[in-house]
Amino acid sequence: MMKHLGKGLLAGASCVALVVTMASSSFANDKLNELSKSNENWIMPGKNYSSQNYSPNTQINTENVKQLRAAWSFSTGLLHGHEGTPLVVNGVMYVHTSFPNNTFALDLNDPGHILWQHKPKQDPAARSVACCDLVNRGLAYWPGDGKVPALIIKTQLDGHLVALNAATGEEYWKVENGDIKVGQTLTQAPYVIKDLALVGSSGAELGVRGHTTAYNVKTGEQVWRVYATGPDADVGIGEDFNKANPHYGQKGLGTGTWEGDAWKIGGGTNWGWYAYDPETNLFHYGSGNPAPWNETMRPGDNKWTMTIWGRDADTGQAKFGYQKTPHDEWDYAGVNVMILSEQTDKAGKKRKLLTHPDRNGIVYTLDRENGDLISANKLDDTVNWVKQVDLKTGLPVRDPEFGTRMDHKGKEICPSAMGYHNQGHDSYDPTKELFFMGINHICMDWEPFMLPYRAGQFFVGATLWMYPGPKGDRQNYLGLGQIKAYNAITGEYKWDKMERFSVWGGTMATAGNLVFYGTLDGFLKARNSDTGELLWKYKLPSGVIGHPMTYEHKGTQYVAIMYGVGGWPGVGLVFDLQDPTAGLGAVGAFKNLANYTQMGGGLQVFSLDGKNPYDDLSVGEFDTKG
Amino acid sequence: MIKKSLVTLAASAVILAVGAGVAGAYDGTKCKAPGVCWEPKPGYPEKVAGSKYDPKHNPAELAKQQTALDAQAARNAKRAANFKKTGKWVQDVSKIQ
Repeated sequence: MMKHLGKGLLAGASCVALVVTMASSSFANDKLNELSKSNENWIMPGKNYSSQNYSPNTQINTENVKQLRAAWSFSTGLLHGHEGTPLVVNGVMYVHTSFPNNTFALDLNDPGHILWQHKPKQDPAARSVACCDLVNRGLAYWPGDGKVPALIIKTQLDGHLVALNAATGEEYWKVENGDIKVGQTLTQAPYVIKDLALVGSSGAELGVRGHTTAYNVKTGEQVWRVYATGPDADVGIGEDFNKANPHYGQKGLGTGTWEGDAWKIGGGTNWGWYAYDPETNLFHYGSGNPAPWNETMRPGDNKWTMTIWGRDADTGQAKFGYQKTPHDEWDYAGVNVMILSEQTDKAGKKRKLLTHPDRNGIVYTLDRENGDLISANKLDDTVNWVKQVDLKTGLPVRDPEFGTRMDHKGKEICPSAMGYHNQGHDSYDPTKELFFMGINHICMDWEPFMLPYRAGQFFVGATLWMYPGPKGDRQNYLGLGQIKAYNAITGEYKWDKMERFSVWGGTMATAGNLVFYGTLDGFLKARNSDTGELLWKYKLPSGVIGHPMTYEHKGTQYVAIMYGVGGWPGVGLVFDLQDPTAGLGAVGAFKNLANYTQMGGGLQVFSLDGKNPYDDLSVGEFDTKG
Repeated sequence: MIKKSLVTLAASAVILAVGAGVAGAYDGTKCKAPGVCWEPKPGYPEKVAGSKYDPKHNPAELAKQQTALDAQAARNAKRAANFKKTGKWVQDVSKIQ
């Protein structure tokens, strides 16, 4: 009886602990939500949990954007590609960099003064297992709870996830989330939900089996981990998985759609962007390509690579999974941005949606509560590997002419392995119900070859030749990108424009009827978001592969963007490669990029008429009294 | 002349059709079960083991990733436990009592 009572007391204590934990967790969420609503903050790479990259600020608008001028700048001191965007929280900007993944905190009252800097010492060997330049996509912020300080959470290429005291930059905890000896790296921006820090994985080009892991932000303890391939228990597949759409597949497929143990080296890493709905408690992301790229070596649908997930944030368990490109043959890694919206579908039903422009050249919109496929349209009419996506079955109807296989060189496949959309973080204007998407316009030839798997070595098995798509200038290797405004309900594009190179970094929309984006040749551009008309541009010191953000400080709206050419499209430029098939085919496609920009990383901030803290000449001056 | 062209066209169509057959008719829509829609391309094996496309995976190599992850998780668990106990994060697990 006593024993029984003891158990009961213990259970009671657990309940209390759970309630306290839950209360604290929801406090963290509420605080992040509250912070994200302010025009003064940009607390996560997509601004808020919906990842809309949209600011309601109207101070800079179509009428006055021509007055946008440089306000201040910051050199990161590093040369390689700078993806992502900085965070701004309560008057402090947090800037990340490419390898070795330094972090800087800048006081927005005096941005020339670095409040703190975190410069990790990493094993330089990490560079040799990075897929595509030495990029990093950003930071996460956890607001603190009174006992544990506010934290900045970052990834390192060498596989570490690190929490820093946001006030001092001191390491709070540091966990291993990958081992470069077996090819596991990290390039992703971590993601905070409640008191959890979520992080994915990189290295599918080395056969890394992808996973997503949650750590307790207060203690660094692992809370859960789920994989993209393998037994259901590993993947986080339970009884009600895909209950609303059983035709997507349900149980046993993480091993059953692979031959033998190939799932153990089957890729499906996720290094892109997450989104979260606090009402459903589901977070969403895409798992990437199967490994190796050579499809002949891995018969089967290769589940659950290339999948849009809806997972419970507390447990990691999957509510739904929709595989976009079963048995990928082209490296259409499905990690791209998930943007959440609430829209009325064609039948007049208000729905919670997620929209995802995929590498495979299709932009998908799903009901994010149950995974129903709402629309799936081509990002460009030149997509040719697929004829259409059957909305009833969810299956892509492939055109066998553009399939790949051993002993065959596939030609004129569109899109290329870079996809018609890659890692760029795009935007959504909820007032116009338009998505603004930066697009690659690149096609390819593809020839597979056999190779053995050796842990920690590249495991690709294909030679690629890339070149501009049919609308580009193939003579001069220009016309490699587009920018488009898309309505996910009608499937129509309101406007589109060609660009010299890929619009790699993504877009940012504002209520000033503007869409901003950076270009690989080093411009920040502003277009009228209704018409696409180019209204303003500024030449930056180097090409852009990150996305813009905006914040208000002391009543002034600023627009900021990181520059620093590199990433996959810049890999030939940064490593001085000449063979057109090098850099997994990128060198050939971007052979003209070096004629327009050179390396150099930093941050450029703009405001109307260049208004900035140093307009007050006393700011930043040496003061003997101070 | 027209007739000859038609014959040529018809012959081309046959060649194209055969070519397409060789190229593989896998269009991803013929499912054996929900979510199981892959099929081998014509002339390619259903299973690669024992075929000329056998990657001949070494089980020891295939096991290395999980071994590495398990070792990381064990080290992380020690660090986190020590952190909860002492309030200090110690990265070098050999220095944790």
